[in-house]
Parts: sequence; C-alpha cells; structure tokens
Amino acid sequence: MGLETPSIPRAIFKVMNNTILGVSHLKTYFFTRRGVVKAVDGIDFELKRGECLCLVGESGCGKTVTALSILGLIDSPPGRIIDGEVRYNNLDLVKCSPTQLRRIRGKEIAIIFQDAQSALNPVFTIGDQIVEQIRLHLGMKYTEARDKAMTLLKEMGIPSVERAMSYYPHQLSGGMKQRAMIAMSLSCDPQVLIADEPTTAVDVTIKAQILDIFHELKAKRQMSLIFITHDLGVVAEIGDRAVVIYGGKVVEMAPVSKIIGNPKHPYTAGLIDCLPDISKTTDRLASIPGTTPNPIELPQGCPFHPRCHKAMEICSQQQPPEVRISEGHEVSCHLYQ
Amino acid sequence: MGKSWLRDYIIKRLIYAVIIAWGIVTITFVLVRVGPSSPADKYLANMAASGQDVSQITTAIEARYGVDKPIFEQYADYMVNLFQWDWGWSFSTSMPVIDLIKTHWIYSFQLILLSSLFAAFLGILIGIYSAVKQYTKIDYTATFLSFIGISIPNFWLGVMLILLFSVKLGLFKAYYDTTLPLFSLENLKALVLPVITLGTGMLAGYVRYTRSAMLDNLRKGFVTTARAKGLPERTVIGKHAFRNAILPLFTIIMFDLGSIVFGGAYLTEIVFGIPGLGQISFNAIFADDYPVVVAVTLIGTFLILMINLITDVAYTYLDPRIRYD
Repeated sequence: MGLETPSIPRAIFKVMNNTILGVSHLKTYFFTRRGVVKAVDGIDFELKRGECLCLVGESGCGKTVTALSILGLIDSPPGRIIDGEVRYNNLDLVKCSPTQLRRIRGKEIAIIFQDAQSALNPVFTIGDQIVEQIRLHLGMKYTEARDKAMTLLKEMGIPSVERAMSYYPHQLSGGMKQRAMIAMSLSCDPQVLIADEPTTAVDVTIKAQILDIFHELKAKRQMSLIFITHDLGVVAEIGDRAVVIYGGKVVEMAPVSKIIGNPKHPYTAGLIDCLPDISKTTDRLASIPGTTPNPIELPQGCPFHPRCHKAMEICSQQQPPEVRISEGHEVSCHLYQ
Repeated sequence: MGKSWLRDYIIKRLIYAVIIAWGIVTITFVLVRVGPSSPADKYLANMAASGQDVSQITTAIEARYGVDKPIFEQYADYMVNLFQWDWGWSFSTSMPVIDLIKTHWIYSFQLILLSSLFAAFLGILIGIYSAVKQYTKIDYTATFLSFIGISIPNFWLGVMLILLFSVKLGLFKAYYDTTLPLFSLENLKALVLPVITLGTGMLAGYVRYTRSAMLDNLRKGFVTTARAKGLPERTVIGKHAFRNAILPLFTIIMFDLGSIVFGGAYLTEIVFGIPGLGQISFNAIFADDYPVVVAVTLIGTFLILMINLITDVAYTYLDPRIRYD
C-alpha cells in the first residue's frame, strides 16, 4: 500500500457530504396507444453515502422504472422522463448530455438486473462481457482487464475462474450467472450500485448466498446501494432505510426498523401482514384485497384508497400530503393529518 | 473448448451429400433421356427439306453421341467416366463438358458474388437503420421500397433497366461484352445492371429480415445491460444487438446464395447475354445436349449441399448454444 488517505470519521463525513444520489419529483410516463402509463409519478428520495436504501412495492408499482430512469435507460419511445431531476455530483442526470451519461453508466453508477439469464448477452463469453466494461472505463490493456475480471469473479465465489471466463452464459447456473452479473457491475468500482430484484430469479439457497455478497459489499466497500425488492424479508435483512412505493408514488419512507416494527401507511402494514409467520399455523396466507391499479387510470386521490380498509371520504378526493411522523419517517396518508 | 463432435458431424453430412448428389444425377440423367426430343432433332428439318432419309440420319447421330444404347448401359458408362473426372462430351458445342464449364463458370461466379455482396451489405445497413428508427419516415420509406423490391420479378427489372439506362440514356451497354478482361473497371461497369437486376430482390428481402431480426433484439435485456455498461450506442447496436440478429440473416443469405445459382442468376444471364453456367445450361436444354444439362445440375446440387453444410457449421460459431450431437 502506498499513500494512506487519512481516515475521516464517518460521522464527520456524513455531515460533509451526506447525499450521494438525489431523486426528486421524478415522473416517467409511457405514451402507449391505450393511454399514458404513469409508471413513476413524482418520486422523491435521497440515497446517503454508504447506506442501503430499499425500494419496496408490488410488481408494477414503478420500482424498476425508477431504477432505469436514474440511468436514463428508459426505452424511448414509448417512455419518457417528463419531469424531475436525478442529482449526482452536481450533475442532473436527466438533463446532462448522452456522453456525460455514458461516462457515469457502469463507472459511477452500476446496475444489476433481476434476470441475469436475459441480461447477459448469450453470444459473448462471461470474460469478454466483463473485460469489455473494464476496458471501456478504465482504459486497461486486455491482459490487465482480464486479470481484474478474474479477481472479481473469484471474489464473487465463482469456482475455477479461468474456465468460467471462457464460458457462455448458458453454460452457467442461474446463481453463477447472477454472480457474474454482480462482478460485471462492480468491475469499475462504482460509487452507487442499483440492484433490481437480484434475488427474485434465483432459488432460496442461492438467494441467501447472493444476499451474503451484498452484506459484504456493504461491510467491505461501504457501497451505496439501492436495493429494489418486493420481499420485506430481504428488506429487513439488508436495508438501512426503505421507500415504499405504490402506484408510482412514495407512500412511506423510514428506517427499516420503523417500517417493519411500526408501519404507518395501511399499505405498508398490509405488506407486513402478508409475511408468513412460521410459528403460527394458518390455513390461508394473509393478503391485501384487490390488485394493483391499472397505471393508465390511477384512482383519484390516494392511489391505494380502493384497497384500503381504513379509507375515508377524503382519500378518494385529495392526494394525501406528506406527513412527518418522526425524524426520517415520512408517510403520505390522510390518517395522520 | 474443443468441438470434437463437429468433425463427426461434418463427415456424416459429407456422406449424405454424396448420396444426395448421386440421386440427383441419376434422376436428371433419366429425365433428359426419356423426353420425346433427341439431339438429332435440330438437324432433321434441314435434312428433310433437302430430301434425305430422316430416320437414317437420326440413327447415325444418335449412334455418334452414344444415346442409342440401352439407358442402363449409358448410365453405367457415364458413372464410370464421372469417377475418372470425365464429364462427357458436349454434343452441341463439340468439346469436353469439363472444358466448357471451365471457360464459363467464372461469369456466373462473378455475377453471383457481386450481387450477393451488394445485396447483403446494403440490405443489412438499411435494415439496421430502419429498425433503429422504427416508425419514422425513414423506416416507412425503407419498408415500402423493400416491399416493391421483393415484388419485382428480376427478369422484368433487367429488361426495364436495359430500356432506361442502355436504350434511353446510353449509360451502359445493353449486352455483356465477353471480350473484356475479368479484372478491369470496364468489366465491373458491364456488370452494374446485371448486379442490380439480380441483387434488388435479395436486397429488399435482407432489409426486411434485418429489420425484424434487429427489432427482436433491440428490446432484449442484454441490450439494456450494454447501455447500462456505458457503451456508446454504436457498440450497443452494432455489436450487442446485431451479433444476435446475425443468425437468421446468415441463414437467408446463404440460402439465397444456393438458390440463385438455379434461379435469378440463370435468368439474369440470359437477359444480359452473360455466358455463365445458366446460359450454357439454357442452351443445352434446347439442344438436347444431355451431358451438359446433367453436369450443370450436378454442380448446382453440389454447391447447394456445400453451402448448407457451411451454414450449419457456421451456426455453431455464431451461436455458442447450438450443438448437433
């Protein structure tokens, strides 16, 4: 080790520069033939340095679209970010040039997709796909980049790395593919890592191993993580703070302990009630009645009111304001006004 | 990773190819001989007009060409000769068939090669552009024009091109000049109209196939991954998406390469008077020149079989997921 950077106590560091990525009033709409899909309809959150922020919600609530919007990866047409900003290092990623954005993608902010099977290119080897990214951003020679790629794969717990480098995605198991995907996203030492349901497409044992990798990323690299999931068990295990999203809007935002222990929004409470409890025997698992609203015709007022058992008259008329319950715990619900 | 199974596969396919080629030769050999006409026919009118005995002449000519013998004997002789690389004697041109083919194959080859390159290169380029700019004016124009291109029969297009560019505008010669040296600009210029004639249909097809293959792949997860890696759009489309779109395109291009030997090139050669294999085969059919007809058929069959084999082997390199064992 050469020069040692003087270690700054984390508390001071936090005061100095707390937020690494800020998303505000983000609105991403899809203009389809059947109507305007308001997939993300005014989402705000801040990712703090070194924390793991979980975006939680059912399928179709806008979690993935939020992640893709951050990096400008929305397919256009039909999608478009119509409003809001994504602040990263004094730069608004929504308005910056395609070239600036390309320099950030994969280098500063990396993303891991849900299904490594379709996210990896079937006709290139794992090695080539990782090396490509390293050489693009770090300007390394092929052999150097190859060594780096192998080190990363080894770190991710992939056995016989040399051979794995020459494998095509179809020759690896689902868990191995996901590890390769994570290795690829980490290859340029990004500041922020967005993980879009990285454990959804793998089975339970692999899920535990993948989560271990994320634990290590937090512990060793102090990685700032945006972890997208619908699984509150995963949130409890890995998250520092959670943002609960419903109908393209944030309904509750709080530290994970409060989300799990003291949920305020009826939707969050419903999600937690749905978690099966192994100590109790029940015939039926709990569920939230109804289905996620059609994003083309979101209900008036609070998008959750048709399914909410505490709904009042005002809920179908007015959008609920953001209410502060305690330090860092905010909820958008008429109940707490 | 070795591909030891590929060697066995190629050997197996080569054995099949020989069997199929033999079958085709046999069928062609019999078919041309059971027809009602004879190589003597073209002499008969003159002979009869000058009062000579027609049947005597026919017998003499048929005996000279050896087509009076029982068909099984002819077939046995032909096969034995073929294995000694003797392709027989062309009745109508009075030279060994092998020499005839040696002089003429290059004209077909240059036409087919240039047309395929022209069609594949332009077609793929326009197709990619059209897919990337889906539902724009450029895309609609390309799709509409390619629809027209596919619908035009190439012999008609050839005649129209001659009328416009040769007869009206005088830019190109209407007829292919065989005296030009092969590797010269003049020869290339002489091939412009034939290449457009033969290539337009293929080009239009490739535009459509490329467009749809690219559209299939442009929305795939790995394309988003490629963008998320920070790659420039050129690499995302040209490398990550196109590399996956190649397989169906390659199939079509190779298939065309095989089929134009007997289809489009044949007609184009006749329209422009290019003395290629299509032209000599065309003449041989009308002259009942059996050995030439069989030989050209055999060459065509063999080419198609080999092109198919090359295509199948190339698949395993283009898409690592494909195996044949």
